[in-house]
Amino acid sequence: MAGAIIENMSTKKLVIVGIILLLFQVFSFMVGGLIAPSPTSAVHYLAAKCVDSVKSHQPKKWFMPWGPNQCEKIRTFDEAMARRIEANNIVFAVHIPLPQKEMSPWFQFMLVILQFDIAFKMYNQIEDGAMVTIDVGLAYRDDTVSEWTEMAHSVEQRKLNCNFTTAKTFENEGRYYECDLLPFMEVGSVAHKYYLLNIRLPVSERKKVNIGIGEVKDIRLVGIHQNGGFTKVWFAMKTFLTPSILIIMIWYWRRITLMTRPPVLLEKVIFALGISMTFINIPVEWFSVGFNWTWMLLFGDIRQGIFYAMLLSFWIIFCGEHLMDQTERNRFSMYWKQVGPIVFGSFCLFIFDMCERGVQLTNPFYSIWATDVGTELAMAFIIVAGICACLYFLFLCFMVFQVFRNISGKRSALPAMTKARRLHYEGLIFRFKFLMLVTLACAAMTVIFFIISQVNEGHWHWGDYTVQVNSAFFTGIYGMWNLYVFAIMFLYAPSHKRYGDEHSSGDQGANSGEDIQLTTTITHVDGPTEIFKMTGKTSQE
Amino acid sequence: MIYVGCFLFLCGLTRVMASYPIWWSLAVGHQYSSLGTQPILCGSIPGLVPKQLRFCRNYVEIMPSVAEGVKIGIQECQHQFRGRRWNCTTVNNNLAIFGPVLDRATRESAFVHAIASAGVAFAVTRACAEGSATICGCDTRRKGPPGEGWKWGGCSEDVEFGNMVSREFADARENRPDARSAMNRHNNEAGRMSITDHMYLKCKCHGLSGSCEVKTCWWAQPDFRVIGDYMKDKYDSASEMVVEKHRESRGWVETLRPKYPFFKRPTESDLIYYESSPNFCEPNPETGSFGTRDRVCNLTSHGIDGCDLLCCGRGHNTRTEKRKEKCHCIFHWCCYVSCQECMRVYDVHTCK
Repeated sequence: MAGAIIENMSTKKLVIVGIILLLFQVFSFMVGGLIAPSPTSAVHYLAAKCVDSVKSHQPKKWFMPWGPNQCEKIRTFDEAMARRIEANNIVFAVHIPLPQKEMSPWFQFMLVILQFDIAFKMYNQIEDGAMVTIDVGLAYRDDTVSEWTEMAHSVEQRKLNCNFTTAKTFENEGRYYECDLLPFMEVGSVAHKYYLLNIRLPVSERKKVNIGIGEVKDIRLVGIHQNGGFTKVWFAMKTFLTPSILIIMIWYWRRITLMTRPPVLLEKVIFALGISMTFINIPVEWFSVGFNWTWMLLFGDIRQGIFYAMLLSFWIIFCGEHLMDQTERNRFSMYWKQVGPIVFGSFCLFIFDMCERGVQLTNPFYSIWATDVGTELAMAFIIVAGICACLYFLFLCFMVFQVFRNISGKRSALPAMTKARRLHYEGLIFRFKFLMLVTLACAAMTVIFFIISQVNEGHWHWGDYTVQVNSAFFTGIYGMWNLYVFAIMFLYAPSHKRYGDEHSSGDQGANSGEDIQLTTTITHVDGPTEIFKMTGKTSQE
Repeated sequence: MIYVGCFLFLCGLTRVMASYPIWWSLAVGHQYSSLGTQPILCGSIPGLVPKQLRFCRNYVEIMPSVAEGVKIGIQECQHQFRGRRWNCTTVNNNLAIFGPVLDRATRESAFVHAIASAGVAFAVTRACAEGSATICGCDTRRKGPPGEGWKWGGCSEDVEFGNMVSREFADARENRPDARSAMNRHNNEAGRMSITDHMYLKCKCHGLSGSCEVKTCWWAQPDFRVIGDYMKDKYDSASEMVVEKHRESRGWVETLRPKYPFFKRPTESDLIYYESSPNFCEPNPETGSFGTRDRVCNLTSHGIDGCDLLCCGRGHNTRTEKRKEKCHCIFHWCCYVSCQECMRVYDVHTCK
């Protein structure tokens, strides 16, 4: 690994590379901030209250909230009361999207959130731990005239988490409870133009179904999807980034195979980092525009997870290989203690994701949070993953601390060393400090932008321009980690400047004491050539 | 005879050009109940000025929600004023649905205007979410072919649209240069502001494994009762103004300025008025007061709904009533209650 490009590059060239990367970074922020719209949209839907007057309940009858063939609607439930319509004959109908619009595959996903408007009544309060049972059907069609085709049907239970903030007196009857948002539906691809949701809240006194849920006044839904414009910008970015990372990866691997020695662990890890970055980059999402692949959401999660796990492992191994103590590492098994938590944590999150988004492939209304057992299970997975993350960061911080301690130890010893050893250690220290600095900068940028995007309302007005901060965050950070991987592969690739020096031989005997020490550091594998080089160099001088 | 004719003509004119909108009558009586079944005929709505008529014809599909909005405004008014001497009574046999009460530029007028215009904005926003109006929200201001804007970057919030409708329609008649118009404009805007100010942000995280890496937020509309409570506070702290007359090129123009310059100036969200309210104790056809005779009062309360204040010191009658009441009920979430009947005895106090 010694003799990476970064060590042999002149400062001027390094600055130039830095500036070019910085320009790309600014560009990736600008693409998101100025061209793309906000990443996602939320659309409010208020369910129309339809009357299912047909007593014989036709098996497949869909209720449209508006337009031609709209259902028989009632405005309020007082009207239903007067007409003696029962709860079981009421169907809440929601058409997605709103009139005169259509959905598009560019929306990538659609998730729907459910909210009940429940009025407080002195004698009809929500009971503690009330569960609401929802009978829901989802249908689609691709033009405005054809019949609806059923896509999914399910009977779901959700826990009503409502509280009433004012005093429970007659005075306050008619005020609404404040209810938590309920996860309702998640579809991983938007292949159709029109969707229709029919929701029933069946009542059965005998089975205690939907009893004690208060007086439901309205059902409101919020539909969230990715904006088409953002998807296009995102795809364009991915399509551009894939070849860039791929090319540098091939170039990097060619350099390594050109060397006489087999690649060291760190080089392999950097290569693996490149592979996982390419794996995220490859724009397979283009297919989602043409095909109805609902698993794309899950697949995206997996790809992202693999990259994060790889990045975290890379940091640990990079620190470990620069420890400069007298232990020999250079084997993956040496790092099981540090990489173990990463693998275990990622595995937990993977299981959790499979339980949520995996099941949603077959039942879009499924939510692991809906039941108590599911909630506990999900929380368990997340907590375990959280503990793993903490453990990992403790290890990492400890390792970084160790490296710095060793560095300062070596620093004081540096002037006393021979030139070869000094160069070697200075190279190590510089390499480490450089990556440390860049990594910290990237992490800080990510955190800062994350906070900015969380805190503010999503866009800034700058004269005539509207800067979409959230989009800028996504494209900018995504671009940044790509550039990070790119820069690592470029700068930490073995330098070819000294290939020619290998034949030179020097007074090995004089330096033999040092050699033993040097070979125990990370340069072990390419040690001999390196020592030949350095000793050769010193002897030449 | 000519004089009588003139007088009648003037009366007719004042009736149409009353100080508060006649079209509010859409929200009461048979006009309201027929809204769901019959299409609205703009020409048959009483008291529309030409601009409103044009608006109605262009956007006839949102007119039911405009009426609905006035309705929820009135209901909220009646709820907020339920125990007071003036309890926001509407009369069915008159197009001026509040009678002559609101002809004066009182606090009550200020409140009703504000709550009605807030109601319109609220109901239109609701209707947009229900999909019962097709012209809502996006694409109107964005460039490009319709539908493309939605696919590229989604829509703007419907609330702005609701406010826009309320402003275009409810404020259309308030364009005269007199003090009352200025007051109505201000109070209408205050009502709409209250909606915008009470929107609250809700968020959903949906990133990797449901983390907040990706978060979508939206503004949710509050319960209308919250708006009502807030407007009631504004009613209690409404600012009294005085009318100033200026001579301008188009004639006399009346403007309003605060009566007490040492108090804080009313902001955009405050209610303003410039005539004092009658005390509403005795029936008075001129002020539109119904009096508080026979109103039910609360014996134990020391507030405005207590028998002392509500009955204006005239004292009260007490009678005992036996009522059949529903008890031990099982409720369904809608439309069905199965109960037993219980007899209860009540003391009912009514004002003399």
